[in-house]
Amino acid sequence: MGLLLLFNAFNGLIQGAFYALMALGLALILGLNNTINFAQGAFMALAAYFAFTLTPYVGFWGGLIIAPLLAGALGLAIETSLIRRLYNRKDPIYTLLLTFGLAFIMQDMIRTIWGAQGKPLEIPQFLNQPLSSTYFFLTGYRLFVVGVALVGTAALFGVLRFTRIGIRIRAGNSDLETISALGVNIYLLRSANFVIGIVFAGVAGILAAGQLGLNPNMGDALIMPAFVAIVVGGVGSLVGSLLGGLIIGLASGITTAFYPAASEVVIYIIMGVMLVVRPRGLMGQEGLFE
Amino acid sequence: MTNQSALIDRRSILKAGAAAGIAGLLATPEPTWAASEKPIKIGMVDPITSIFAAMGHSEIKGAKFAEEEINKKGGIMSRPLQLIVEDGAGNPGTSIDKAKRLVAREKIDFLMGTVNSASSLALSQFANQHNMLFLCTGGHVDALTGTNCNWNTFRTCSTTWMLTAGDFETLFDKFGKSWYFITTDYAFGHAEQADYEKQLKRHGGTMAGSALAPVGTTDFSSYLIEVKAKKPKVLCLLLAGDDQVNCMKQIAQFGIDKEIAVAGALIELEQLQALPENARYGWWTAEWYWKQPNTPHLADFVKAYRAKYKGEYPSARSWFGYASTYAIKLAVERAKSLETMKVVRGMEGLVLPPEVALQPNAPMYRAADHQLMLSMFPGHVLKGAQYPDLFDVSSIIPGEKLALSPAAAGCKMTYPS
Repeated sequence: MGLLLLFNAFNGLIQGAFYALMALGLALILGLNNTINFAQGAFMALAAYFAFTLTPYVGFWGGLIIAPLLAGALGLAIETSLIRRLYNRKDPIYTLLLTFGLAFIMQDMIRTIWGAQGKPLEIPQFLNQPLSSTYFFLTGYRLFVVGVALVGTAALFGVLRFTRIGIRIRAGNSDLETISALGVNIYLLRSANFVIGIVFAGVAGILAAGQLGLNPNMGDALIMPAFVAIVVGGVGSLVGSLLGGLIIGLASGITTAFYPAASEVVIYIIMGVMLVVRPRGLMGQEGLFE
Repeated sequence: MTNQSALIDRRSILKAGAAAGIAGLLATPEPTWAASEKPIKIGMVDPITSIFAAMGHSEIKGAKFAEEEINKKGGIMSRPLQLIVEDGAGNPGTSIDKAKRLVAREKIDFLMGTVNSASSLALSQFANQHNMLFLCTGGHVDALTGTNCNWNTFRTCSTTWMLTAGDFETLFDKFGKSWYFITTDYAFGHAEQADYEKQLKRHGGTMAGSALAPVGTTDFSSYLIEVKAKKPKVLCLLLAGDDQVNCMKQIAQFGIDKEIAVAGALIELEQLQALPENARYGWWTAEWYWKQPNTPHLADFVKAYRAKYKGEYPSARSWFGYASTYAIKLAVERAKSLETMKVVRGMEGLVLPPEVALQPNAPMYRAADHQLMLSMFPGHVLKGAQYPDLFDVSSIIPGEKLALSPAAAGCKMTYPS
């Protein structure tokens, strides 16, 4: 039992790293764009389908790089044409409704273009096997996903801390009006931030498709853990989102050792408890949505 | 100023485009029915969205294919057939809402559809309240033609019992006594597992363990850790739709299929198509397969179906839609009426003719429980196979050899007086 528990805990952390990767993009957009981007899952799915179409021409690696950028470009178009118009309405419900609708449109678009039939996304063969027979759940691909999550997170934090645009994004997070008064083009800044968030979603979507395969609904399944990670970790805190992802992954892994049927529910229970005990989450700012 | 004229230009282009589009729609050839011939309407509620969408689309394609064929050959009692499709999203509540709309607004004569068991049970009850014939295309739960059977409900796809009986003995003899189940957590999975357990007990096998997976589970790694720890001889997957695809992929990634025999009740062509080559394995039962040497009319059907749907091969789901649509036509013609009770009597004991059955045996809608006695196709997935030839059928077993008797299935049919 001890070993089994350890296996499950470790496996949960791997899953958690993946949740964290998805949550980061969402948290980024939630912060500066003040948008609860319900279409994040649809962007993930769309990037994965782009990768599926591109793979025969540019290979898995090419797809992994190009497809998120394409999704980012679409994100830019949507941000500038639609979401931007709603920034002045302080209530986040407007952007939530907008992106909720977008999610449906994008999902149906995928179904129309690529069909309802699920499709496999082929991943390089050398990643597609377990590294050892004892630790069979450690496949090359899952380690690769964890690696991408780590590198992606580190890169994001590097950008936010050390680059001009990153510093502005953080400043905008804490006081948008002031940095606007200081002459920063906040429209441009918000667009850039949105695109970064979508590119993150794209990478996460392709990585998910490599493991789960493609289907038009895949975004639905991916978006919820990402939301929960943010709520648990704390709205407005990127470190919190990271932590939130790892915690729910771990909790879900450990629960499976005892009662597998509850492994999906447990993350919502954690969210519920968190909302009651500490509504701003582990590391969230107070009163962001008040 | 230049801007404005550009805008007008764009608008007129849009208008022209819209006009062309509408003209295109109007230009679709109308069937050559006299205006007085009111169509006979079948309302079809099937998932166009949700995890059941791929299968729903196949059923709809099959039904539309039949609709076209029937209308080309003169319709039903020289009236045109009209199929009206609504998206039930694999959800019982939504399915009922859509069925209500079909009844109220479209004034449908018959109801059919649904891929999943929960929606099928819901629609069966709905149809019962509305005194309407409901032909279930693809929900497998035993109860529908068993303990919950209704005088106005028929079913084309098999029961879960038939699915499990189709391959149990082969699996048991070939791979061993100790079984582990990963089962989808709703009516379909519960019924399948109960049926397998019954057979396992009867043959002196053991349960190494079982786990219920909620619908929409994406990550099965933790379930698989448990499976490896229990070391069963057979890992029995009783999952539906995309869930099964996800689980099979992860099993392959972990290399478990090389150590433990993976098997299950039902495999669908749609699922095999969604799997990468290295994750195509296992022993399963199909309910129909496009490749059956020596079955009359099958080659013509496959050819015509492919011509209509861009080279796509028909799946078992396509056949459900096709056969169900024909079954309604044949029952109406037998009854010479659209009255529900008469059509029900027309469908009881109806044997599908070879050009509709498309299998070596002659399946009949059993009068006592309204279950179609379709054949089962146990077999295994071909290693390294390419679409569309992904499954090797080891035998085609007539449905009446596998199905429980109506009494054993618990169906006590009562009719309104």
